Amino acid sequence: MASAPTSKYNSHSLENESIKRTSRDGVNRDVGETLPRLPGEIRITDKEVIYICPFNGPIKGRVYITNYRLYLRSLETPIFAFLNEEKFNVDGWTVYNPVEEYRRQGLPNHHWRITFINKCYKLCDTYPALLVVPYRASDEDLRRVATFRSRNRIPVLSWIHPENKTVIVRCSQPLVGMSGKRNKEDERYLDVIRETNRQVNKLTIYDARPNVNAVANKATGGGYESDDVYHNAELFFLDIHNIHVMRESLKKVKDIVYPNVEESHWLSSLESTHWLEHIKLVLTGAIQVADRVSSGKSSVVVHCSDGWDRTAQLTSLAMLMLDSFYRSIEGFEILVQKEWISFGHKFASRIGHGDKNHADADRSPIFLQFIDCVWQMSKQFPTAFEFNERFLITILDHLYSCRFGTFLYNCESAREKQKVTERTVSLWSLINSNKDKFKNPFYTKEINRVLYPVASMRHLELWVNYYIRWNPRIKQQQPNPVEQRYMELLALRDEYIKRLDELQLANSAKLSDPSASPSSPSQMMPHVQTHF
Amino acid sequence: MEFAELIKTPRVDNVVLHRPFYPAVEGTLCLTGHHLILSSRQDNTEELWLLHSNIDAIDKRFVGPLGTIIIKCKDFRIIQLDIPGMEECLNIASSIEALSTLDSITLMYPFFYRPMFEVIEDGWHSFLPEQEFELYSSTISEWRLSYVNKEFSVCPSYPPAVIVPKAIDDDALRKVATFRHGGRFPVLSYYHKKNGMVIMRSGQPLTGTNGRRCKEDEKLINATLRAGKRGYIIDTRPLNIAQQARAKGGGFEQEAHYPQWRRIHKSIDRYHILQESLIKLVESCNDQTQNMDRWLSKLEASNWLTHIKEILTTACLAAQCLDREGASILIHGTEGTDSTLQVTSLAQIILEPRSRTIRGFEALIEREWLQAGHPFQQRCAQSAYCNSKQKWESPVFLLFLDCVWQILRQFPCSFEFNENFLIMLFEHAYASQFGTFLGNNESERCKLKLQQKTMSLWSWVNRPSELSKFTNPLFEANNLVIWPSVAPQSLQLWEDSEAYLLK
Repeated sequence: MASAPTSKYNSHSLENESIKRTSRDGVNRDVGETLPRLPGEIRITDKEVIYICPFNGPIKGRVYITNYRLYLRSLETPIFAFLNEEKFNVDGWTVYNPVEEYRRQGLPNHHWRITFINKCYKLCDTYPALLVVPYRASDEDLRRVATFRSRNRIPVLSWIHPENKTVIVRCSQPLVGMSGKRNKEDERYLDVIRETNRQVNKLTIYDARPNVNAVANKATGGGYESDDVYHNAELFFLDIHNIHVMRESLKKVKDIVYPNVEESHWLSSLESTHWLEHIKLVLTGAIQVADRVSSGKSSVVVHCSDGWDRTAQLTSLAMLMLDSFYRSIEGFEILVQKEWISFGHKFASRIGHGDKNHADADRSPIFLQFIDCVWQMSKQFPTAFEFNERFLITILDHLYSCRFGTFLYNCESAREKQKVTERTVSLWSLINSNKDKFKNPFYTKEINRVLYPVASMRHLELWVNYYIRWNPRIKQQQPNPVEQRYMELLALRDEYIKRLDELQLANSAKLSDPSASPSSPSQMMPHVQTHF
Repeated sequence: MEFAELIKTPRVDNVVLHRPFYPAVEGTLCLTGHHLILSSRQDNTEELWLLHSNIDAIDKRFVGPLGTIIIKCKDFRIIQLDIPGMEECLNIASSIEALSTLDSITLMYPFFYRPMFEVIEDGWHSFLPEQEFELYSSTISEWRLSYVNKEFSVCPSYPPAVIVPKAIDDDALRKVATFRHGGRFPVLSYYHKKNGMVIMRSGQPLTGTNGRRCKEDEKLINATLRAGKRGYIIDTRPLNIAQQARAKGGGFEQEAHYPQWRRIHKSIDRYHILQESLIKLVESCNDQTQNMDRWLSKLEASNWLTHIKEILTTACLAAQCLDREGASILIHGTEGTDSTLQVTSLAQIILEPRSRTIRGFEALIEREWLQAGHPFQQRCAQSAYCNSKQKWESPVFLLFLDCVWQILRQFPCSFEFNENFLIMLFEHAYASQFGTFLGNNESERCKLKLQQKTMSLWSWVNRPSELSKFTNPLFEANNLVIWPSVAPQSLQLWEDSEAYLLK
């Protein structure tokens, strides 16, 4: 009996789907009426129940009893993203193509190869299908390493430095446990990573956790790479706290700004939330990673416990500091798509889309914290980013809105199973079809500039425009004059570029014209450099 | 006196200079009458030219034969010089000490400075009171320019020309002057074209304990009211302080004698409290300990942002009375030379689009600070590092600039100038090659013959090459009144003014 309704449910969730697709005109259907019945089958009764499915967890539904069978139909309404019929002239799902992104980084090369070992998500169900691993590690090696890493999240390449070829590698904690287990393949694997560049004879491992937490994790089978086993590696702890600490910290921020802003002791109340301190630690960690790769010329391995929260923050922020490509609008979309979405940051669990259990211990504003860090960087480098504050706020708004499929589900395999790219619209479609709104007019493209933000408490600010934007006291008098002015400046810039192009064109025409004066000074400068 | 007497060692080689944001430089240190110069004698390395008058305090340290002088500047910068040889080091230190604390104003650098640029427009004549009045005169018929203070005899801290109600003659003004602190009788500060209402400022009335009154004073300020209309008197002191002032001969306007006026008390702190706040602020900014956990608490404990909030709130109140209530106002504190000017000038920033342009802001500084007799010489004598704390030293002007910066930050498109302009004004108020901020009032400036002997800051600033550094690219003339938010989350520490410290 137990298996029957399950299969019914499963098969029907698909059937449901087809019904949904055909009845979008909004006609209110009585679910009972659409129940497919055999000739002679009569409905006896029905009742709303919660069915504890042994495979999918609790499902709210209605059980129908006929004279022939029990029939459960899920009552859960689908997330709006699946119903959204918005049309955009660009398709955001095409923004990120892992092969193209790795090719941009110059991969594969002599030392690194692209592997499809995880094509069916068999090696690691929370990793993307496509991974970049050391050339000298065989698929068999990868499988063995996977057994020694939490949730099989093996060390894989996130980013490679275009010149010194040092890399940022991400993974989860090693399963050392209380007994101090070892795994030869894992040790050799990290050594292979180290050998991919020979400038420094040590590999640097950053464990995002505080030292004590890493030790405590041994009790649950986890742990860290100790020096006596990993001889050629140096391990540093970055003291970033876990998801629960971050959640409570943000809760405190909420308490001081809503419903009323804590006026009398604003700064000390803000300090007591520790939010900015956590921001500082995350940024400091990312700076260390970026500095080690860029100046220390050493490859870096980053992990925390499972490698999907703090690790994603660190790798993506370090990549943002190192690689100017990610500071463009599309580059940033690719960064989010790659380091967060494809590498299995558990958006569904952290945000709880469509889940009314707000107190769930899995909730945590890790991605928000990352965006806050990006905002802090954009404050310190106002010309380094192609996007503006509105872009970041828009991303955060749709992190929660469920209007787009971009942030749904926990990992790529689940998204594939739900056919998210076919059934929903991407947030990047919205943004990329109206890019001007999200552009920073002060953006000056600088290739190869590494950004080192100052992660001092004195330079970090509360992101008032995000956290307290609904408070009428900080509302501006006019409909955002800055944004208006930004648009005008952008238009002005475009006009100048156009004029410059025309002048250059006219100039080159003049040059090709033999009647033009040969001593024309403009000939001295055949190509005018623009700063735009 | 010759400067040479004070300079014991004019030159030392192999001195190493450490300063924030730059790599250490080795070079030759030279002392002149007004500057401390360090040159590496190499191209491409910037030399240090530091005015002695910019030095707030110095510390000496010795490690073996190597001496170190730490120079703390009035603009909050901290510079370190490593000097080989103990004797040289001691000589340099005592020379700097002597040269940075010269008593006589006429020995200051502005009297020796010869400009290397061509003067296009003489700044001393850029903002004459007559010209400023001219801007108004077409619209205001009830006001006149009075020269009653021509010899600075009626009020030593007022300029020769002031704007007063037409109905009040000079004799009456003389009488009113005896009833107001420092002879500062009520004068026009700002005329709101929209509704003809005005801001006046003055010193406190000298009512004393027995409630003295002055009919001319009442007549003067009543002359600004329309029939049947009430006005507001904003006293920048809390009521209890104002009451205490009576014991010393001061006081406030009694309702009985000023029935047409409503008095509002605010609480902008007195200048020595502001100075303590600045010292605390700079101290916590300079705290080099790694543990920054308490930064925000320390910032809060300095009360700096609280002072900003109080000043801005009072300025908003004044602007509100004028623009929303359509009432004229009189603003004063005790002397009427500090908090009063903060409020009148900020109210104009809020109300008057012209004061948000570069020229308009310069005119505002000239009118509301220099002409109005803010004692720059006293207030800006020392900054946050000096040990010999004098009670007349206070960052009143810096607080005003900080408030302007707060508004600028909230309305980034409404100002023609950028924050560099404000920082430049701050630096020149404390140490400058120009004569603009010398002296405590017009009368002192006249006696010093600054116009003949020194160069005006405005002559230098208002050249196109300089102006371009101070122009805000986002500026778009905004003819509206701009109401800043004074909520704590809207106010921020003006980091760039502290830029020399924060790293």
